[in-house]
Amino acid sequence: MSEHEPNVSRRTVLTTTSAAAVAGLAGCSGGGGGGDGGDGGSGGNELELLHAWSSGDGNAAIAALIEGFQEEHPDVEFAEEPVDGAARSNLDQVVLNKLQANDPPSTFQTWPGKTLAKFDGAYEDIEGDVWDDDLKENYLAGPQEQAQYDGSYVTVPLNIHRINNLFYNTAVLEEAGVDPESLSSPSDVVDACETIAAETDAVPFAQQTSGGWSTVQLWETILLGQAGIDGYEAFINGNGDTAAVESALQSVVDLSEYYPSDSSSISFTEANTMVMDGDAAFIHQGDWAAGAYSNADDFNYGDDWGQVTYPGTSRSYLLNMDSFPYLANNPSPEATKQFLSYCGSAEGQVLFNAEKGSIPPRSDADVSSLNNFQQDQFEDFNAADNQPPSIQHGLAVSPGVSTNISSAFSGFLEDYDAAATADALINAFN
Amino acid sequence: MRNPLTILRQRLEDHREVRADGGTATEAGSILDRDSVRSAPFWLPPFLLIGLFIYGAIIWNIVLSLTDFQGLGSPDYSALDFENYVIAFVGGTPSWSELTVSPVWNAAWNTVVLMVSFSVVCLAVGLVMAILVDQEIRFENTFRTIYLLPMSLSFVVTAKFWLYMYNVETGLVNIILGAVGVGPIEIVQNPDLKLAAVAFALIWQFSGYAMIVYLAGLRAIPTSHFEAARVDGASTIRMYWRVIIPQLRTATVSALVVLTVFSLKAFDFLFSMYGGYQPGPSADILATRMVREAYANGNWAYGSAIAVLLFIMALAIVAPYIYTQYQRGEL
Repeated sequence: MSEHEPNVSRRTVLTTTSAAAVAGLAGCSGGGGGGDGGDGGSGGNELELLHAWSSGDGNAAIAALIEGFQEEHPDVEFAEEPVDGAARSNLDQVVLNKLQANDPPSTFQTWPGKTLAKFDGAYEDIEGDVWDDDLKENYLAGPQEQAQYDGSYVTVPLNIHRINNLFYNTAVLEEAGVDPESLSSPSDVVDACETIAAETDAVPFAQQTSGGWSTVQLWETILLGQAGIDGYEAFINGNGDTAAVESALQSVVDLSEYYPSDSSSISFTEANTMVMDGDAAFIHQGDWAAGAYSNADDFNYGDDWGQVTYPGTSRSYLLNMDSFPYLANNPSPEATKQFLSYCGSAEGQVLFNAEKGSIPPRSDADVSSLNNFQQDQFEDFNAADNQPPSIQHGLAVSPGVSTNISSAFSGFLEDYDAAATADALINAFN
Repeated sequence: MRNPLTILRQRLEDHREVRADGGTATEAGSILDRDSVRSAPFWLPPFLLIGLFIYGAIIWNIVLSLTDFQGLGSPDYSALDFENYVIAFVGGTPSWSELTVSPVWNAAWNTVVLMVSFSVVCLAVGLVMAILVDQEIRFENTFRTIYLLPMSLSFVVTAKFWLYMYNVETGLVNIILGAVGVGPIEIVQNPDLKLAAVAFALIWQFSGYAMIVYLAGLRAIPTSHFEAARVDGASTIRMYWRVIIPQLRTATVSALVVLTVFSLKAFDFLFSMYGGYQPGPSADILATRMVREAYANGNWAYGSAIAVLLFIMALAIVAPYIYTQYQRGEL
């Protein structure tokens, strides 16, 4: 207390402080019960958008999308909140807290498909309002299926990253005398690696193994290549064949001979840099790997690097998507639906994906403004027979099963025991 | 301005009569007169805050672990049972899930191994460093700061740093091993070395803390004890072993408690090192398992049950310490 206020005794201050603290506590405990915040009837034009694209290409992409939307709907304001933190685990937590408190955001960034089960019961059907005939005609069957939860359309996929890619450094493959187009099965990749190891100093297959995700997506790609779409779908539906799963794992074990020797200490970025520097020949990744290539000087698509569909999976486009769902008890129903419709438009998707490096899910999108690699991917996408959902990227299996699968692979990375891991993967569904 | 309490006390005193038999002090005034009541404005607010946010939260967590709370919605407190603890100990398919849940033995065992090895080695290294620094060497302060510095780093930095140190090709650990003709050895994903590697990195980070605690303990021992031992002809080792180290009991116990609690929090380290809460079966601890169950699977009640087990483990370490302190009148 300053000496200019002599009338306030210390005790009064203390009493007031503690009273305020108690009042504050009362406020805390009261907050959970009521439906405060959710009743945004009056402020219905402010759209609360939560996403984890707080930096890099993701941030540029969401900014482009919002800018495009606001040109069409200048009356809608955005309370846009990037939630910091690696990937989206932190974002899910924020959304969960808001849902528990009965204060849902307008929409948030999430994987579609089975990941939606995490917030089971929080979505509202938007068939008709957003998912009109135009969307249904122009989304291919695979992405369209992922937009549904329990048979109703609840979310709008915005982009597609492909998982079954094999990227390569052209110079290294030429030196080794390997023609990537000639590879037709996962075991051909192993043979090619052997040739590369014999003919060059480069690491044949750049891979990181400190975290499990790269290995899960490699295995799911090989499973798709070996067991075909039927075998793959049987697995994600919980009816997988142990022998097929083990065979795909064995193929990963064979490939692991050709990993960098320090694969357990490096990150995806470092592995990808090895390909760019000519220190590695192949890398299997989602097409975000190409984002790093296009940002690099003197590393050009077609000349310095190339991509083939992972051998054996040429008829499939293995999906990893981001989407914006519609949450029930929405604070801004009209504005949210307008925004989701824009996310479902070819125009919005092209703006977004031009920055993000992925492709639009709408098969009628005009991709001439995207780069050559994206145009090639889009062509593959429209020509693919099927668009199965990715296991690692949350589309194919529910969160509990996904955790079991990750656990199985965290053990696989320790001992590379294909038989034991195959049993664990089959049991992941029980 | 007269304080209302003072006025009230004055009034009560006016009514008080002195009784020949000494009386039974039952007047209402005696309660207000007590020191504990008069000092209430000072201790009550923090007491309530800590009571609510720490002990209240612990109790709530225990209750939550008895429910079947899972996914969205709110927990049902009407049907409490010990199902989650049964699942934690023997595994099986709980009523709140379609999936089989494995017991927590593996994670619990790893937690104990990490806790014991980390704490004991950390104390030993800290003690040796403290004795060395205590020899009135030159640049003592510099050494002290250097040893303590790793503790100022966050677990995230330490984890990324040691991921690099353990690199098979370029890591310092393998370079040193190579110099003595061993290796190179895969460390980060090696099931036999994983947990030891984590413990080693944590020891590197926290032995400086043990050193500081021991150093303070050593400085508190009068020089006469050292001199008396010397006069009696004790060798340096014998002097420390028989005379000095026994006097460091309090320092050991208080450092041990803090270190143990740190080891229970190794979650951040594993999270950063293995890029998520899947460090693999040979380095999985209760904390990573708990976060996996709660935040990846939404099994809140089961996650709470694991948290309670973790809490009991921490309590088992801290409680004897608090009890001996209490018995010796230091609390």
